[in-house]
Amino acid sequence: MGELAASASPEEELTSIGLGSCIGVALVDRARGVAALAHVMLPDAAADHDAPAGKYADRAVPALVREVEALGARRVRLEAVIVGGAQMFDVGVGSALDIGARNATAVRAALAQQRIPVRAEEVGGRRGRTMRLHVGPMTVTVKEAGGREVELWNGSPSTRRSPAEVMH
Amino acid sequence: MPPQEGAPNVSDYTDLQLDALRELANIGSGTAATALASMLGREVELAVPRALALPLADAVDAVGPADVTVSSVVLPITGDVEALVLLLFPTADAATLCGLLGVEPGTEVGDSAIGEIGNILGTSYINALASMASLALEPKPPHVVTDMLGAIVASLLTGTVGETGTALVLDSELDVADAACSLSFLLLPTTGGVAELLGRLGVGNA
Repeated sequence: MGELAASASPEEELTSIGLGSCIGVALVDRARGVAALAHVMLPDAAADHDAPAGKYADRAVPALVREVEALGARRVRLEAVIVGGAQMFDVGVGSALDIGARNATAVRAALAQQRIPVRAEEVGGRRGRTMRLHVGPMTVTVKEAGGREVELWNGSPSTRRSPAEVMH
Repeated sequence: MPPQEGAPNVSDYTDLQLDALRELANIGSGTAATALASMLGREVELAVPRALALPLADAVDAVGPADVTVSSVVLPITGDVEALVLLLFPTADAATLCGLLGVEPGTEVGDSAIGEIGNILGTSYINALASMASLALEPKPPHVVTDMLGAIVASLLTGTVGETGTALVLDSELDVADAACSLSFLLLPTTGGVAELLGRLGVGNA
């Protein structure tokens, strides 16, 4: 949580477990077989300078780009997949109510700023999710609590599923 | 949520302050345990509470494994201190509890019974806090969600502590005698709420 990992090993799997209002942001270069995943918790870093690189959307995306480039990825080939940003509770204190939506907005803005296309997403809804990025086949799967693992992305140019379509 | 002026970070909570908060949690959850015991007609055991002041992500991890499915009841608290009371039941234990109450688990009635237990326990907990620390506190209606533990706790903590970095979690364990039923009882104050609590307990930073 708040963390960031990158890999170029085909047998590896990058995972974000228990994404509620948090968002899993995956960046991949399919041609190079390089991928990275961040578990973003909040929209912007403000003054929290000691935070892990993946914690805030505004810092996580540039950090992901650096990580995959260090493993040989080319920026022009980068593609993104995003999962999470749910609103799990109708109740809350502070800004608890809309953090999922704010996270989604901030992640999309940070990706747009780097000119990275979002190829697939499963964002919003009310359920928590676990996201897995399988580095070898370069696919992304998503699983809800008590649900089964569903493939969200297999490298196709665009996959968008609204929460209503993924109810089991 | 903008960072609050003078918001405390990890090092700003002294052992004395954490002890005072732990004692507060002990009294609050003791009162809640008594309420649960009289509701079920069984003994309820209470473990020594923890007071954790940790970076947000570590606090989520400290509550338990992120991928476990749990039933949760959230009770927002407003008034002098803004906080969330969070009750967590492993799904099997929530089912046991429904059984003890004679309702079908996993149904609307089961969820509503769990919500009502959360309401009664949460209300007794905060009433104890209110009288101990001379606070005016008011609970809002409970909300029941069954989902992944990590998703629940992270979604709530990002709201209560936001960008201030440090999360304070007061964590108690209640265990129902002669039944496989235990539940965690958490108080998640906002960053401003922690400062207010510490001030009322006479161990504030000011």
